[in-house]
Amino acid sequence: MRLRSVQRGLRIGAIAFAILTYLILIGLPTRLGSVATPVLALLTALIFWVALRGGKSKRALADQSPAPLALTGATAGLASGLLTAALIAGFARLLAAGVNVQPYLDKIVPLNMAALYGVMPGAVMAGELPGGGWLWQVGLLTLAGVVGALLVLLERSLRQRTWSTGGALRWLTIVLPFVLLAFVIWLGSPGVTLGGNNRGTLRLLAAMAAIGSALFALRAAQRGREQRILALLLLIGLAYLPFTLDQFQNSVMGIVFIFVMMGLGLNIVVGFAGLLDLGYVAFFAIGAYVYAFLSAPFASPAFSALLTSLGVPADAPLVSFWVAIPITMLAAGLGGVLLGIPVLRLRGDYLAIVTLGFGEIIRLFMLNMSDLTNGPRGLLNVAPPYLFGYNLGNPRDIFILALLGAGVIAFAAYRLDGSRLGRAWIAMREDEDVAQATGVNLVQTKLLAFAIGALFAGLAGQLYAARQTNIFPDNFTLFVSVDTLSLVIVGGMGSIPGVVLGALALKGLPEVLRGIDEYRIVTFAALLVIMMIVRPEGILPSTRRRRELHEEGGPASEPAITLEPALPTDYRTLDGGKL
Amino acid sequence: MALLEAQAVTKIFGGLVAVGSVDLAVEERAIVSLIGPNGAGKTTFFNCLTGLYRPEEGDILFDGVSLVGLRPDQIIAQGMARTYQNIRLFGSMTAIENVLVGQHVRLRSTPLGAIFQSPGTRREEQRAEQQARELLAFVGLAGKGDMIARNLPYGDQRLLEVARALGSRPRLLLLDEPAAGMNPRETDAMMELIRRLRNELGITILLIEHDMKVVMSISDRVSVLDYGKKIAEGHPDEVRRDPRVIEAYLGAGVLAGHNA
Repeated sequence: MRLRSVQRGLRIGAIAFAILTYLILIGLPTRLGSVATPVLALLTALIFWVALRGGKSKRALADQSPAPLALTGATAGLASGLLTAALIAGFARLLAAGVNVQPYLDKIVPLNMAALYGVMPGAVMAGELPGGGWLWQVGLLTLAGVVGALLVLLERSLRQRTWSTGGALRWLTIVLPFVLLAFVIWLGSPGVTLGGNNRGTLRLLAAMAAIGSALFALRAAQRGREQRILALLLLIGLAYLPFTLDQFQNSVMGIVFIFVMMGLGLNIVVGFAGLLDLGYVAFFAIGAYVYAFLSAPFASPAFSALLTSLGVPADAPLVSFWVAIPITMLAAGLGGVLLGIPVLRLRGDYLAIVTLGFGEIIRLFMLNMSDLTNGPRGLLNVAPPYLFGYNLGNPRDIFILALLGAGVIAFAAYRLDGSRLGRAWIAMREDEDVAQATGVNLVQTKLLAFAIGALFAGLAGQLYAARQTNIFPDNFTLFVSVDTLSLVIVGGMGSIPGVVLGALALKGLPEVLRGIDEYRIVTFAALLVIMMIVRPEGILPSTRRRRELHEEGGPASEPAITLEPALPTDYRTLDGGKL
Repeated sequence: MALLEAQAVTKIFGGLVAVGSVDLAVEERAIVSLIGPNGAGKTTFFNCLTGLYRPEEGDILFDGVSLVGLRPDQIIAQGMARTYQNIRLFGSMTAIENVLVGQHVRLRSTPLGAIFQSPGTRREEQRAEQQARELLAFVGLAGKGDMIARNLPYGDQRLLEVARALGSRPRLLLLDEPAAGMNPRETDAMMELIRRLRNELGITILLIEHDMKVVMSISDRVSVLDYGKKIAEGHPDEVRRDPRVIEAYLGAGVLAGHNA
């Protein structure tokens, strides 16, 4: 028994070491500066926690007794600590011996090593690591292992009081967003020096965590009055965010919420109706370009010539931002119907390929119709939104507009989800033939999914154009579709709060991690793969999607009322309830 | 005039005549069974009736209106609903949601109405949910409305399929092996339910069934298919004595009163 605990500890330690090595290699310690070692230790503690609690099932959590768990944790920490120390010492020796490893491992710099040890870079270059340095490193990681084990025990004791009826964990979840919001506001006051040069980044991260935790809090709250009061308080907190964040933070949040708008639209097409659309960027592009035509007709040679020949002055915006909203949305919605008609009969992979092509066609059209769209030179001087003569084009106001837009779209999506149409979408996703035989008009239902999804993307596109003021075909590549689809999947398909969370994780985090930007794609690829294995339903799944992918969650099935020789109660769900 | 009249319906897959010129008439408020050995074309015939397949020849008249060429969702709107041989519920939806999807053709709410929760939409949704609960209670699933369809016991899933079909307020209900895989007690309950569908709701029933006890005790008329051809038709007692039927399908065991 003890041997097995140690073995398991060694295994977990090795995994943690591999992750740590990756983080060191991409230069995270340098980014973190003086707090590198404690932050990495904290991160490792979290890794240990996840590894020790042993997978997805609640049973695994309950199975382990404290002593072996602590042993496993300590072993894991010790192992990862020793390995890390050996790795760093090895690199330091190589550097001291004059071997230039940098061309091969581009972020292995003395600074990086020094940050981990809390010493001057010169000491690393000279191979003079302080004798206590590695001990401290090992000790800290061992502590992380023990902390990981303690976290498992803590989680277990918290879970014993159930989630739904006022357990401690539930209250923690509800209070957390407010704590984070307070932290964000506190970080903004001039006297605070926490985080040093990276204070802004820390603040942005905390703001995103606050929004993310707010979504979990809403889910933890009891339905009815408690949830409504909480939602109101959270909205007030959220509304305050744009006024306390600085320009850069607001502009990051602006783009995050523009993607939330997009994600909510795509969520209808993919999450609700189950139609895999890889060309979703087309509607975003249509929205952006139509708004550009309307607000900067002079930028397009052909369009301005047409207007002049009609006697309409082309040197000023045709309509205001607000009047343009229904026009761009309708144009994008029409695009949705136009895409929808030819793909009505396609399913699955075939549908994905055709929509992928559609997205590219729109981009190539923008690129090559240079009379109309100015080709790769783009449309310049798109008008920002104005309200009573006040320019709303700054990052803060764009963030506010994106918040409002996302709010309206989320509300509409939520209402649709519970409607006759929403039920038809889900029925169609589950079994198209039976849905039709049950009375769902497939043509109408599919086209409505494409059109409504496109409407929302069009609105997002318009706001995007107003934010950028200059738009180019390159803004609308396949990657926008892929990013949007990824955020829907990561958040949890079919889940409205999941979209917000996915956008924060996929569009917001990379901004926080600017320093390791070039490794972003690799990191996200790994993240996606791990997530699909550990949590295929997404971070914050809709209850329905969770039911589809996990057996637990639904009420346990009772034996059939009339089953007469007593059969094992679960014999039918064994084969019927497959993953 | 019969409620449903199939005239020389033919369905061919490649070189195989799955259904060959089958005539069938179902009178209003009758319970008619369609029997035959495996592969006789019974389910194919059902699929032709409900628009999943388009028959190569023949016509299908429902209340005097031809159904050939209509889409399945248009056919169910005419008043003909069905269940499936291998249960095909919307597994991740709750029981009540399944019935609500069944009511789809009888509801009118629009997307805009849903977003703004117009009074009309709200009233319609409330009424629909009320009705769905009543239907669940009618088939014997009272109180199970909020259970996930997939988690329901097998017998209940069959009942839920019936409730879903009833959601469209059909005049004719096609049941594809409603008692398949059920034990004797569940089968009795199902037979009782089928009788109540006819007697209390006035629904005409056409069913495919292998369980001869069910067929013989509840049917007003029985039609027998074999290799896509109708080989016999009539009152259950006549059919069970028909030598061609015995040869094709029933066997001596049934004559002695046992299941096939």
